[in-house]
Amino acid sequence: MREMIRLLVVIAVFSAVSGGLLAVVQKGTKDRIEYQQLKFVKGPTIHHILEGSSNDPLVDRFKLPDGKEERNFFVGVFDGKADVVAFEVFGKGFGGDIGVMVAVNVENDEIVGIGVTTHSETPGVGSRAKTDPSLSEQFKGLPIKEPFKVKADGGQIDAISGATVTSRGVCGAVVGSGEIYMRLKKDIIEKLKAFKA
Amino acid sequence: MAKTVVQEFTKGLWAEIPPFRIVLGLCPTLAVTKSVENGIGMGIALTFVLVCSNVVISLLRNIIPKQVRIACFIVVIATFVTVVELVMQAYTYPLFLKLGIFIPLIVVNCILLGRAEAFAAKNGVISSFADGLGIGIGFTLSLTALSIIREVLGSGTFYNIPVFGPSFKPFSFMIQAPGAFVCLGLMLCVMNMLGKK
Amino acid sequence: MPDEKLFIGSHAPYWHNGSSISAKSYDTMLAALPAVVLGISQYGAPALGVLALSVSCAMIWELIMNVAMKRPASIGDGNAAVIGLLFAMLMPATAPWWAVVVGTFVAVVIGKQIFGGIGCNPLNPALVAIAILMLSWESMMDFNDALVNYDFGFNMIYPLAAIKSFGASAVSDYNTVGLLMGQQPGGIGTTFGLGLIIGGLYLILRGHIRWEISLSFLASVFVTALLFNLSDPDKYANPVFHLLTGYTLIGAFFLATEDSSSPVNFFPMLLYGAFAGILTVLIRNIGAFVDGVVFAILMMNVANPLLDKIRPKAMGKGIKHA
Repeated sequence: MREMIRLLVVIAVFSAVSGGLLAVVQKGTKDRIEYQQLKFVKGPTIHHILEGSSNDPLVDRFKLPDGKEERNFFVGVFDGKADVVAFEVFGKGFGGDIGVMVAVNVENDEIVGIGVTTHSETPGVGSRAKTDPSLSEQFKGLPIKEPFKVKADGGQIDAISGATVTSRGVCGAVVGSGEIYMRLKKDIIEKLKAFKA
Repeated sequence: MAKTVVQEFTKGLWAEIPPFRIVLGLCPTLAVTKSVENGIGMGIALTFVLVCSNVVISLLRNIIPKQVRIACFIVVIATFVTVVELVMQAYTYPLFLKLGIFIPLIVVNCILLGRAEAFAAKNGVISSFADGLGIGIGFTLSLTALSIIREVLGSGTFYNIPVFGPSFKPFSFMIQAPGAFVCLGLMLCVMNMLGKK
Repeated sequence: MPDEKLFIGSHAPYWHNGSSISAKSYDTMLAALPAVVLGISQYGAPALGVLALSVSCAMIWELIMNVAMKRPASIGDGNAAVIGLLFAMLMPATAPWWAVVVGTFVAVVIGKQIFGGIGCNPLNPALVAIAILMLSWESMMDFNDALVNYDFGFNMIYPLAAIKSFGASAVSDYNTVGLLMGQQPGGIGTTFGLGLIIGGLYLILRGHIRWEISLSFLASVFVTALLFNLSDPDKYANPVFHLLTGYTLIGAFFLATEDSSSPVNFFPMLLYGAFAGILTVLIRNIGAFVDGVVFAILMMNVANPLLDKIRPKAMGKGIKHA
């Protein structure tokens, strides 16, 4: 019995020490990891769709609660006015969720640009949604409230040939972004005021 | 101890070099050696974990009860692996993305548990340190050698720098999974031929 | 071929009947000759170049490995030359020299010598090389890309690629006689159906290959393709088309029948051929690759040790209630 207790104590102490150590390391690296994830996963897309902004959207970001979850918004400053926000939405693709970054101008509710961030589509087929700009370019300048659909479904968007499911997923994501945007528009404008300076 | 500290260090570089001599740790060896960058990164991560866990286990070898030693080893190793994972995420995020699941999988790497059980639990701190460092550097060297062959032939690049002219058509079989097996097998064969003489 | 059920042995001394590995190799090369000659006459000097380079490279690799492994030189048995020849027959005539050198290296060194030389290879060496080349340089092994500069006055679209992309109607202008006479693009030695059949029959009659494997392979390609064709005639080609295009015939007579990578007993041989045929058509009709023969036969090569477990009971064994 004493032996058993000794074993338990040793293991417990080991686990406690390692747990404590990990907590310290995790705390120390948390902010950097978040920034790195934004920079390398979403950064290229954000920079691409907010091209020409005079600020760094990765630094100028804010969070808003949307129902149960929190959403990240990235601010783009154009001509001295902070009136573009980019945020990520998800659509259902062929191989799983497709992350789409949508940038909206809050003045006229028009889409500034969209870009695919993460996906697990077939390489060379659905993956062209990320690499080939022909799909995402079509959304530029369109009002965000429109119900986007691919042409096969009677909509206005030319799907990538051979990747209709992926294109449909991107459209669905943009439609979803419109809903989120309308829901949170008031808060977004409120928050943007902080960046106007 | 019959062997000196220097001998403990150097045996990891040739006489017991993993994975060619002690055929352990094959999973990361086969999976991550697509490019030199990955190979070196994986080797350094494993060396760090190996040295730390060897030192800690050697320090604690009189406290750890025999019955639960494996559990204690795993706790120590897992702690350091998680530390490495967090640090890599914070500072070398692209490399972390490439190595992916194989960083957490260092925990179950046979080399680590093997050295802990076979060496660190029986020897002093200094020789355990030397042993860990030697095996770790040996592993890094092997991974580098394998990844040089695979990257140069398979992608025509060395550390992402093209080494052949533009007319070179990469032998992309080498960077696919079966190429890893064939390449490792041929290297083992050469090592055995050299070792016999 | 002696009757398998009845084995009558006479007393020593025995007389060697003259059969040897080299005789078998030269017979195989002779059997391949009609198809090769047609390939050379169609594609001209480049095809001859690929063939010559491939055969000589294969023999040089074999010699190098013999020296490296301190074994007696084995190029005299002609097996390396056969591997080189079969490999070249599968290649497009436009294959660059380095691809042939690498391919023969893979075939002879990785496919054969690493495992211990002739008789020890678990996979067909020529197929290993072709498979690795297909994975590495897809466009070079794509017959539409490779043969784009040739025009012989018949449909120059690789038939299997055409049916994969455009359905059965795209290949309606290939006729059976034309396919048999080699009027289709393809590898140097794979297009002349009649020549391959004649060569195969010769090998069967000489006893170098087993009819069970060839026949079951062809029969199962036919049956599987027929089932697909019946289910959707617009999408899947008719079975005769599958028999005469791609690597089917050379696979049936020259590749699947390779000694050490195919089974030895009657029933396993039938299974081996049948499964290879089914897999071929499945890969062609459903899979991602244009031609499935290479991977189908390689997969059955891997399964070969399992198939060899099906064998007659040894005398006196396995009787529980004796």
